[in-house]
Amino acid sequence: MNNVVTKMLLVLTVIGAVSGGILAGVFHVADPLIQANREKELKEAIFVVLPEAKDYKVMEKEVDKEKLAIYKGIDAEEKLVGIAFIADGGGFQGNIRIMVGLGIDYLKLKGIKILEQNETPGLGNRIKEPAFEGQFKGLEIKPKVEYIKYRKPEKPNQIQAITGATISSDAVVKNVNNAVSRVLKAFPQEEVLK
Amino acid sequence: MADKQNLWHEFKKGLWQDIPPFRLVLGTCPTLAVTNSVINGVAMGLATLFVLLTSNITVSLLRKIVPGQVRIAAYVVIIALYVTVADMFLAAMFPPISKALGPYVPLIVVNCIILGRAEAFAQKNPLMPSIMDALGMGIGFTMSLAVMGVIRELFGFGSIMDIKLLGDWFEPWIVMILPGGAFIVFGFLVALVNYLSRKKAETICH
Amino acid sequence: MEEKIQDKPHEKPKEPPIERLIVSSSPHFLRDENIHKIMHTVVLALLPAMAASVYFFGLRAAGLIIISVAACMLTEYAVQKLRKKPITIWDGSAIITGILLALTLPPSFPYYGAVLGSAFAVGVGKQLFGGLGYNIFNPALLGRAFLQATYPVLITTWSEPLSKAAKAGVDAVTAATPLALMKFEGKMSSHLDLFFGNVAGSMGETSALALLIGGLYLRYRGYINWKLPLGYLASMALFGGIFWLINPTKYPDPLFHILAGGAMLGAWFMVTDMVTSPVTPLGQWIFVICGGLLAVVIRLFGGLPEGVMYSILLMNAFVPLLNKHTRPKFFGEGIKVE
Repeated sequence: MNNVVTKMLLVLTVIGAVSGGILAGVFHVADPLIQANREKELKEAIFVVLPEAKDYKVMEKEVDKEKLAIYKGIDAEEKLVGIAFIADGGGFQGNIRIMVGLGIDYLKLKGIKILEQNETPGLGNRIKEPAFEGQFKGLEIKPKVEYIKYRKPEKPNQIQAITGATISSDAVVKNVNNAVSRVLKAFPQEEVLK
Repeated sequence: MADKQNLWHEFKKGLWQDIPPFRLVLGTCPTLAVTNSVINGVAMGLATLFVLLTSNITVSLLRKIVPGQVRIAAYVVIIALYVTVADMFLAAMFPPISKALGPYVPLIVVNCIILGRAEAFAQKNPLMPSIMDALGMGIGFTMSLAVMGVIRELFGFGSIMDIKLLGDWFEPWIVMILPGGAFIVFGFLVALVNYLSRKKAETICH
Repeated sequence: MEEKIQDKPHEKPKEPPIERLIVSSSPHFLRDENIHKIMHTVVLALLPAMAASVYFFGLRAAGLIIISVAACMLTEYAVQKLRKKPITIWDGSAIITGILLALTLPPSFPYYGAVLGSAFAVGVGKQLFGGLGYNIFNPALLGRAFLQATYPVLITTWSEPLSKAAKAGVDAVTAATPLALMKFEGKMSSHLDLFFGNVAGSMGETSALALLIGGLYLRYRGYINWKLPLGYLASMALFGGIFWLINPTKYPDPLFHILAGGAMLGAWFMVTDMVTSPVTPLGQWIFVICGGLLAVVIRLFGGLPEGVMYSILLMNAFVPLLNKHTRPKFFGEGIKVE
């Protein structure tokens, strides 16, 4: 009886150890590649929302026990061209993740890019089309971003919602507003510009 | 000679007679979840094929060593190992596919086909039949996912492998890329496979 | 014959029918009624709604109705031919499915979409389950739900009724339905417009008056149980009213709920579907009360502005369960004998 228990323990331990070893090896090779992929993706997104930027610097802070990060976009002469940050929030179905670019005037958006979304194909997922994303270029964030329906925007802080996809359009606007207000609070203009 | 025929049989059964999602109704979760395009379906099928093959090999080789009482625990560890390897490989080499498949690659761990083949076949059979079994089942599974993907992508996007086949006159059937479309296509395919095999059985009988 | 035996292995070979003692499941017809007659009465009852749709939205509405009906009958014919069953396209059930489906579509919906919806409604919604009497879901609504998922943009592209469009000086104006206006913009439409149907919406759903005439005619002929339509509407009014009392500025009043959207059409012609509604009184009450609640909840809190379709389809799914568990006890049932 004892013999069986020992064998069980031994076999499982060996299998576990060998598996762990193999995994560690694979991880060692794959992890740098995975990190590089993430980095590349982030970089591309930042450069889309801050077109003048050639490089970026991360600035992190802890607000209410939550880590908040912004990416300071800098051009070839090391001059600050704007800041970028992630806006996360619920959409019609699932999460919408947006990269938001804000000018150094802290008034106008430089652009947004939808990084992740699960909206209805052909309807809500049109938020990632340039026609919709492009509306955020030069959009004023004060007092806050708004959307209107069926008409061309009239005020500098308005965008036109996608017909038939009000909820998704609304979610994007809400996420952007939330993220902007959090960033404005946590990273005052003076502090970033300096 | 008989041996060779046997091996051929082990391979062939996964392609039609016991084709996993349609006849065994195993592995339906990925079959429904990731087949909204051909590429996703095939990638998922190949990832599963890899895990199936490696786990069948390992289980078959260890079949005389692992005590019966802890075999499930051992198989799960082995399967989880290969799944994690596959997941990391996809994330490192094909990030877009990895992103599209999302949590379904890690979920191969709980795919009934893998544990099912380990338990029902590999632990009782030598290496070669286990390999053939895994290859047959894996290719059958990949084929099924590809067929689902072809139908859903064609109707849902008007394209196959991102190549536009149907012109602008075609208004895509959005439902096909939604979960509802997956269930509809799956139901029809199960019915079709049943119908065809019944027909085949009838012609043999008569 | 061979197929029959395969389907039901316990079934004995057919004996000559006994004329006097007929044992069958409900409904038991005491009068000279048959499927044929009932169905054609329903078509007659739908005439006012069809007329209203043509009046408000023009000849295109008639075109959509004709095409849907034709596609439904053709699908029925094709499937029955394929299954080697008797062809029953003239019993009227496919015609009704076609009309009802067309009435739930926006007037500008493309013809090919109506054909696709009809094929799904009859092919999958009815024939796949075994034909008339065996379907779990109302076929027309299932077709509509399929189209909602298939063409989400087209099926939510509404146009103003002709009279309003003419005032604006153009042929067709895209517009929002009263429910969408309520939900997304907080605007209410006039009850009078809703009652007569002079609003944007699905072709046959807008005119509460026309549907009411048809519904009351059906009731007069005794083809529908008053519990079902009135219970459903009352439930919607009740639950809608509760939210209205909580916050009258945000939520619409109960009358709006039963006049707007598909409430009237659903209540009179879909909730009352003989095949997909419960047969026991208690089951019927549960069916309509839960249905009305669901419709209101989806309207006010769901992602879509209209909830009648999904509320009926969801409750359809519960019908077998309701029938099973609300069966009245026969005398002495359940008493334990020592």
